[in-house]
Amino acid sequence: MTLTEFVIATIVKILLVLGIVSALAGFGTYLERKVLAFMQRRLGPMHVGPYGLLQVLADGIKLFTKEDFVPQNSIRPIFMIAPLIGAASAFIALAAVPLLPEFKIFGITVHPIIADVNVGILFVLGVMATGLYAPLLAGMASSNKWGLLGAARTVIQLLSYEVVTGLSVMAPLMLVGSLSLIDINNYQANGFKEWIIWQQPVAFVLFLIAGFAETNRTPFDLLEHEAEIVSGFATEYSGMRWGMFFIGEYTNMITLAFLASLVFLGGFNEWGFLPGGLAIILKVSFLFFFFLWTRAAWPHVRPDQLMWLCWKVLLPLAVVNIVITGLVLMM
Amino acid sequence: MFEAIAFYLFSAVTISMFIITVMSKNALYSMSALAAGMIMISGFFFLLDADFLGVVQIIVYTGAVMALYAFGMMFFDATRDVKENIRAPKLVFLLSGMTALLLVLAFVAPIVSDHIQALYPVVDGVENPQAVGIVLFTKYLVPFEVAAVMLLVAMIAGIILAGKKMDESLTLKIDGDEEFQNKGSK
Amino acid sequence: MSLDQFKDRNVTQNYMFIPVDKPPVAPLEKFKQVLKRTFKGELFVGLWVVFREMVKFNIHTVQYPKEKLPISPRYRAVHKLYRLLESGNERCIGCGLCEKICISNCIRMDTRYDENQRKEVTEYTINLGRCIFCGYCAEVCPELAIVHGPRYENASEQRAHFVLRDDILTPLDFLKEGKQEEFPGFGAVSPNADDRIKKTPLAY
Repeated sequence: MTLTEFVIATIVKILLVLGIVSALAGFGTYLERKVLAFMQRRLGPMHVGPYGLLQVLADGIKLFTKEDFVPQNSIRPIFMIAPLIGAASAFIALAAVPLLPEFKIFGITVHPIIADVNVGILFVLGVMATGLYAPLLAGMASSNKWGLLGAARTVIQLLSYEVVTGLSVMAPLMLVGSLSLIDINNYQANGFKEWIIWQQPVAFVLFLIAGFAETNRTPFDLLEHEAEIVSGFATEYSGMRWGMFFIGEYTNMITLAFLASLVFLGGFNEWGFLPGGLAIILKVSFLFFFFLWTRAAWPHVRPDQLMWLCWKVLLPLAVVNIVITGLVLMM
Repeated sequence: MFEAIAFYLFSAVTISMFIITVMSKNALYSMSALAAGMIMISGFFFLLDADFLGVVQIIVYTGAVMALYAFGMMFFDATRDVKENIRAPKLVFLLSGMTALLLVLAFVAPIVSDHIQALYPVVDGVENPQAVGIVLFTKYLVPFEVAAVMLLVAMIAGIILAGKKMDESLTLKIDGDEEFQNKGSK
Repeated sequence: MSLDQFKDRNVTQNYMFIPVDKPPVAPLEKFKQVLKRTFKGELFVGLWVVFREMVKFNIHTVQYPKEKLPISPRYRAVHKLYRLLESGNERCIGCGLCEKICISNCIRMDTRYDENQRKEVTEYTINLGRCIFCGYCAEVCPELAIVHGPRYENASEQRAHFVLRDDILTPLDFLKEGKQEEFPGFGAVSPNADDRIKKTPLAY
């Protein structure tokens, strides 16, 4: 493949992923509203389109046409950049995730991964962590009490969960011996029994918990918890800038679902009679549903409880898990 | 060609970010520029095929600058300019500039006189993280361990400094609440 | 309970301390609590409950503009002025009781004597922006002329639209079709009134 071809292929992939994932993120808001509604014995959006399917479109029009204003005492450039950081870092993180197995179309073999970084998983986690600069900067620049509280909670959250994420992924990585997501996937190629979750159940649970904190989902949605700090970092935002935070959040959820299914749930290997592509889409859908499910079922925690959980419970557990894995590997 | 473009792009962005860091009076601008510059540096590592170092740069500095933000949030109103009280700005500028220049000269000197060479050339078939690990645990084992011990010492010192009243929970004060209860019964 | 209690501004006086279970202090006890809470599976009970509700699909939503809940006949919504069934004249005799009793002073009426020396209502206005829908007017009306109807959706471009007499008065053609239903609700005679009526005793 020549350089030009490579560049063209990459650009096409980028556009495709950008388009599909942002559409999915929009659709995710619809799904979330529906699933939450059904779990709470409601119907959810019903009026726009059949079963409210066009609600996403209506919301999009609303967000795009809303006035985009910046509060007077805020720091204007940073206030305006912050949502971009959120959305951009979410998509950049997605760039290093192999979304589907290789397939052939029109006689060309397609690798559905934009940038095959050979330390893929670290790259994804690192860039996702950078995404928390969005709420931080947004909260600090908007010169609003609630915004500032949201920003402070962002710092707490990042410093709490990031260590746990890293350590929980460490044990599976020690098994595989590579940081590349494709290698991790190929390690589990021999079917259902080879999934890493059976060898590392603790790591899986820890990774999911830290993932909830990372994507700012309900048990740990401290940053913009309405009942406590009006809307947290997003208090002063409106229109598409506010929408970009949401696209970022839902993209992060999708990325995390991909990561969890790649690292722990057998990735895009064939699963029984299911072809690989379908298998991973099913797994990702289930994990996405799980995100919504927990939102309907579980209460959220206080910031101090999150710190307590991460530093005093999850961190020691992760370390013990790594030590035991190391001992087993050495024997 | 792409590498050259990327290199100059990253250099320009990094340098301008650090200039903002130094020059800006606003704490929020400085910190954001610092974070951006640190993350942009990882671009150079990626250009040099040192993926692992690049990612580590991103992860470490995301967290580190985030902690800096926490302190900034506690000490300043980040939306206002900081008023500095410098008696002799020229002297400060001169001294810090000279120090920076000296540092650059010290680092550049061996490159200029061709006395620098890679002692651990890249081994084929060994991936990036493994290469880092090999160097870290053979040639640089002692500095690595010393750094680890230093961090441990710093951590213990921090815990002891901060943790004198660690057993008292601020949210679950019940035994120590006599004052509150007395107030209520008065 | 006297009124003094409410006038007392010293808020600390009536506060009391709600006892909370003492959090465990000893490290072992704390550890036990964590273990208990972790493995009790309460989180999964919560997950199961919401999932069960989703699968049962027992939806309680009323899709309001399309479907409406039935309201009680005693519901007090926007007023109606009724007409006499045979003649089609207004029932209102212009006695002015409703105007007098209205506690938010939102009823105004103007009357005159017509050619038969009967009282006739020329203007009748209820300011629905001020009405608190207490129902006194309907209760006090001796002729069941003003009653509360079931129309509870009020929206208009102008406040003036809320005071139109023509809107609340039964239209003549509507009356002729026999669609003016006798109001069973607030202020009306109860259905079994005839059975319950007793002659006034002459002597106690």
